[in-house]
Amino acid sequence: MLTQETMRRFNLLLLVASSVIWSVPANAATRPHYGGTVRVAMHETPQSLDPLSLAQVGVPNISRLLFDTLVVLDDRGFAQPALATTWQAEPGNQRWRLTLRSGVSFNDGANLEPTAVAASLRAANPDWKVLPVSDMIIVQTGEPHPNLPAELALPRNGIVHGNPQVSGTGPFAVSQYVAGKHLSLVANDQYWGGRPFVDSMEIDFGQTGQDQMTSLDLGRIDLAEVAPENIRRARAEGHTVQSSSPAELMALAFAMPPRNDEEIHLRNALALSIDMPAINNVVLQGGGEATGALLPNWLSGYGFLFARVQNTEFARTERTLGKQSGPLVLAYDSQDLVARTVAERVMLNARDAGITVQLTTNGHGDMALTRVPLPSLNTQTALTGVALALQLPMPSFGNGSANDLYSAEKTLLQSHRVIPLGYLRSGVALQPGIRNFNMSPDGAWQMSNVWLGSDKP
Amino acid sequence: MRDHSHQYERVRASYNSRILPMLPSRARWLGCALLLIGQLCFASDWHSPAAQLAGKISAATGPGVIALEINNRSSISAADVEQIRGFFISELATGGVRVWQPDQAAAVAKVTLSENLNSYIWIAEVQQGTGEPKIAMISMDRPPSSLSAQNAPLLTLHATQLISQSQPILDLAVLEGNPRRAVVLSDSAVSVFDFKDGHWLQTQSLPIAHATSFPRDIRGRLVLRKDHLFDAYLPGVICHSSEAGSLSLNCSRSDDPWPLAIAEFGVSGFFAPARNFFTGVLTPGIGKQRSAPAFYSASAIPKDKYVLWIFGGVDGQVHLLDGINQQTSSRLRWGSDIAGIRAACRPDWLVLATAQGDEEDSIQAFEIPDREPVAASQKLPIHGRVTALWTQQNGEAATAVYRNADTGNYEALQLTLACGQ
Amino acid sequence: MSFRRRLLLLFALTVLVSVAAVTGIVSAMARRAFDRANDERTAALVSQFRREFTRRGDDVRRRVQAASASAAAGQIAVAAAQSSPDYSSFLDAAQTLAEAQRLDFLEFADDRGTIISSAQWPAKFGYQERLAKTTLPAYAFLRDEETPSGTVLGLFAVHAISAGDHKVYAIGGTRLDRTFLSSLDLPAGMRVMLYPNLAGPIAPERLLTTGDPIANPQALAQLVQKVHITDHDESAVIHWDSGNDETVNAFPLMGANDKTLAILLVGSSRQIYTELRSEIRSAALFASGAGLLLAVLLSSIAAVRVTKPVEELANAAREVAAGNLDAQVTAHTNDELGVLADAFNRMTRDLIEHRERLVQAERVAAWRELARRLAHELKNPLFPLQLTVENLMRSREQSPQDFEDTFRESASTLLSEIANLKSIINRFSEFSKMPQPHLQEVLLRDLVAGVIHVYEAQFEKMKIRNETEFTDSQPVSADPDLLHRAISNLVLNAIDAMPEGGKLVLRTSRNGNTAIIEVGDTGTGLTSEECARLFTPYYTSKSHGTGLGLAIVQSIVSDHGGRISVKSQPGKGTTFIIELPVARQILADGTSA
Repeated sequence: MLTQETMRRFNLLLLVASSVIWSVPANAATRPHYGGTVRVAMHETPQSLDPLSLAQVGVPNISRLLFDTLVVLDDRGFAQPALATTWQAEPGNQRWRLTLRSGVSFNDGANLEPTAVAASLRAANPDWKVLPVSDMIIVQTGEPHPNLPAELALPRNGIVHGNPQVSGTGPFAVSQYVAGKHLSLVANDQYWGGRPFVDSMEIDFGQTGQDQMTSLDLGRIDLAEVAPENIRRARAEGHTVQSSSPAELMALAFAMPPRNDEEIHLRNALALSIDMPAINNVVLQGGGEATGALLPNWLSGYGFLFARVQNTEFARTERTLGKQSGPLVLAYDSQDLVARTVAERVMLNARDAGITVQLTTNGHGDMALTRVPLPSLNTQTALTGVALALQLPMPSFGNGSANDLYSAEKTLLQSHRVIPLGYLRSGVALQPGIRNFNMSPDGAWQMSNVWLGSDKP
Repeated sequence: MRDHSHQYERVRASYNSRILPMLPSRARWLGCALLLIGQLCFASDWHSPAAQLAGKISAATGPGVIALEINNRSSISAADVEQIRGFFISELATGGVRVWQPDQAAAVAKVTLSENLNSYIWIAEVQQGTGEPKIAMISMDRPPSSLSAQNAPLLTLHATQLISQSQPILDLAVLEGNPRRAVVLSDSAVSVFDFKDGHWLQTQSLPIAHATSFPRDIRGRLVLRKDHLFDAYLPGVICHSSEAGSLSLNCSRSDDPWPLAIAEFGVSGFFAPARNFFTGVLTPGIGKQRSAPAFYSASAIPKDKYVLWIFGGVDGQVHLLDGINQQTSSRLRWGSDIAGIRAACRPDWLVLATAQGDEEDSIQAFEIPDREPVAASQKLPIHGRVTALWTQQNGEAATAVYRNADTGNYEALQLTLACGQ
Repeated sequence: MSFRRRLLLLFALTVLVSVAAVTGIVSAMARRAFDRANDERTAALVSQFRREFTRRGDDVRRRVQAASASAAAGQIAVAAAQSSPDYSSFLDAAQTLAEAQRLDFLEFADDRGTIISSAQWPAKFGYQERLAKTTLPAYAFLRDEETPSGTVLGLFAVHAISAGDHKVYAIGGTRLDRTFLSSLDLPAGMRVMLYPNLAGPIAPERLLTTGDPIANPQALAQLVQKVHITDHDESAVIHWDSGNDETVNAFPLMGANDKTLAILLVGSSRQIYTELRSEIRSAALFASGAGLLLAVLLSSIAAVRVTKPVEELANAAREVAAGNLDAQVTAHTNDELGVLADAFNRMTRDLIEHRERLVQAERVAAWRELARRLAHELKNPLFPLQLTVENLMRSREQSPQDFEDTFRESASTLLSEIANLKSIINRFSEFSKMPQPHLQEVLLRDLVAGVIHVYEAQFEKMKIRNETEFTDSQPVSADPDLLHRAISNLVLNAIDAMPEGGKLVLRTSRNGNTAIIEVGDTGTGLTSEECARLFTPYYTSKSHGTGLGLAIVQSIVSDHGGRISVKSQPGKGTTFIIELPVARQILADGTSA
């Protein structure tokens, strides 16, 4: 037990330390440097550079470099102004007015006009009515949308101009693009949020994780993606690695809803048979977090309520209540190396419970090992996005309280269409010279503030 | 295993301030900034949410006796958790619900203090009978400062040069005051330095008298005491300082165990008198565990219900003991010396670990959110080999000693963790 | 069947039987030789398989040892030595080492049987490796290894790594698959197949083979099943759909627990044997053909050498039979045929001598018979003459009164008997003066009808009913008078044979170039002895007559180049059949008889 004296010393020192931290002036050496090129390698191979396509292939980080949204979410999930400076909902949350930031221009030189914004939003959201009015736009939706600002912050709602060569208002502009292979970006000097520190970025697409780490070791790139299962190793090997919160859902998504109670029992048995902590600790090398929920606990706060513990005995009992006419076919992405091991582990665990699982890579199965990046830092938008990605029924959130959100997620889980396995971190390995690189909890890169230190090779 | 949740059962709320979420956000932050103790602004008012949730619990159970279990999954400090527990017990009593032992309770209320990106989420799972538990939850805004460990930015490990001398330095303790004073333990003496005019000047040297010869790679530890200034632990020898008149040192042959981490954790380990490591025998032990593999160094990280002890083993591996389980992590490339340290912006203790390079060592801070160390700082290069690394008495700093690769002198550093770049 | 044909048949049969026997023997020997060679080649291949198995096993053992000696394996051992080991960082250690050591399988397991790292099934960490808890063989062994894609047969080795008080086992191996089979040096016509997985029902599609896949592996299922059940070597001849046959020897491959894990099948094509057998058959056919030709040739030669003298003998015999006793055969050789020819010639010479002697004897006999008949004929009238004369003389002496009467009566008797004598002498004179026929076209039916007409009154008198049947409408060359006389003689004989009346049948018909006249009665008939002597001159069964009638008939018929025969049964009647040639040359040469 801590003594009172010690506590006193602690408090005193805390105060002194806090004072020191607050009073130390910023060292000049830590001021950001302008200039230089950041070289990045990525695994994905985007074939097109519009926000919708980039969102579909899972490269929102590129989208954020080129395109702005009307609203952005900060690291706590709060909506912050971007191309829209203010927004206001009319009663009923079906009609929103957003005031556009003035003085913003696209990289092709065109001014940010409400018509362009409206056109972009209409293209991304055909169900919406988007009307340009003066320096505002009005978004009208069929259903109440209390979370419209969070939705507007989705990368897919990036504002573009021009067709087919699209241009954005983002911090960087495209100087050269070879579809699926290479992208050269230059800093947008006129960026409304302030010119990025680096002059340019060179992005190579289609690089495997191993190639990226080799290139990083050879000093050919400054930033490499690190798969969740490699984060620990990369750190152990001395790389500077930043990782997100566990943000990418890995789940078994069933193609069809259960047809009867027996099928529900079978799916319950499968869920109970899976030893996700083992998968996380070994297969994913601690690069994730076991879960029974659709949203990570750090985002929802209640996710632990859905925690599922492997219990082979219970699984066997459920299995006896269920009926399996043929093997459950589990599809996984053959390009995803870790998915294969996870799928094989699921197969082994299921076998222990008396369930026959057969693996396939042809994409057609009773269920699929699916990875869903966290769509948003807004819980409701995130859950809606996850439901959409997993083809679950659209959740309804009542008045938006934590309890309602919990009920909505519980309803989705009780559809027995999905067995959440875990959330995975995304990681980035950096050259030591890369400064001020930050990742949002959901893994989004914040490149605008990145600058190159003097020890850049 | 130590259970914090039961230690302060009788703590009562001393005040009941206005619920902070009711304040406008900007005004709230301004107020906190002015007070410079922002954390306390939030930590102080848990009564209202506790009352809300307690109301929901009592509505679910009805009047009677329940067992209350509180788990903290949030950044709320252990002390605040106990305060919250008190609020719960009192508010439940207001609703006619008494908290008692589980075996005599009609229902069990399991309250989890959780949080998400921007809110605290408190959840009560009320279990009555064998049915599905009833869930009640409340949420309230959460201040941005208490980010969870995973999302926190890297800390900066600062090293402050203290003493440099040709004699090996086994440990060093800094006594804040005017002047700042440093007590330096070497294999032959305890020296006292005062910080004057930007320099450390030796004011006193107290020889260590010992009958037996010390082993090679001698190690020693200074522990500040409140009744006397310090104790110096050396292999087979313990020296007590005495301030009766002038400072003196009374050394005697002893195999008493050395305090591990900081003395407040109350765990000591026996040091092998003719070797440079701890035998592994612990007193009074960690939970049910009375021994650990032989180790060079130890560090403790208090968790919700237990203290996780980390040992830098003689076998080159890192051993983790939590009072019940022992786990070994062979892949950590940590050096022999580790030491616990705290950072102002982190709720949990961190571990400083040495790492051996080709010619120079380095020191890096790690967080242990679960069992897996996560780097919390960049590596701090050390221009030479680290010869000692001990947690300083307050836990806010650590002492590192290295032998300068150029001069051959032993240099003592004070290590602290700073938040932000 | 002619001797030549018999000879040909004999030769052919001899050749065919010989060829068939030789073919059969050669085929059997070839089959035995092939089977023996096949057994030897199979044994050599199995031996090669075992050598390769051992070599690969040693190779696997070395690689597993090398993997065990790696730094990663050392780290695993260090981790395993801990009281609460953490193996999570070794997930892909086995994979990396397996790739480095070119092993298809590699697993590390601690002495509790927990899989630390698995190359073939990385997700199997934490599961139990049953091998680690058993007595480990020091040599390489076969094992069914479970992989995500199913059970795979592999050649395994185990190496124990010391980890303090504990042990870690490296269990590595390589697949026993097509690559392994391909490494075997197969003789032409042989192939090796492997049925690797005996779990569950036999599924022929699991069969591994070198080269092209087997079109119908189901054919081997029974053999595989048999070996699986018996755990012993088995063999069978498989008839593939392609028509090829293959001898398949199946050998059980045992694992470390002496359980059959796989079956090695060594196939040896019987095509060579089939071709050889086909060639033997072709050769046999060719030999048979040639033999038959040879048989023809030899039989011809034999005919030349054997049958020709025999034919000459036959011709000569036929000439002899035809009466030409001058026929002679030339003896070409000194063998049996030559002896036979000499004997024949001697026989003909003897026959000529006998004929001459017989002719002389018959001539003497005829003359004697003639003399006897003549004496008899003449003696009969002479005796009454003598009596009459004596009576006359006695009457003149004893009763001259009656002499005159007596004289007249006696003179009348004498004249009568003298007339009788003259008649006898005339008949003999006529027989001796039988004229040569003067041939002309004669319709036999008319001729016969004329005869009937002559005797119609007598038929009525004798109560004889006559029937005629004339189916011959063509004329024949004959002397009508002589033929009329001959038929009349036969009709008279018939009338004589039916004193109590009866039926007389007269027929004319034709059979090819022969005209036939039949005269039948329903009289007393003749015995066979009587029939045999019927045409002998002066023989008669009648109480009257000279016995020259039928001799005259035979003489006439003979002069016409025909022949006469008789069919008779005592009590039922007699039928005379006259066969006359109608050939023109006979007409032309009719004079020569």
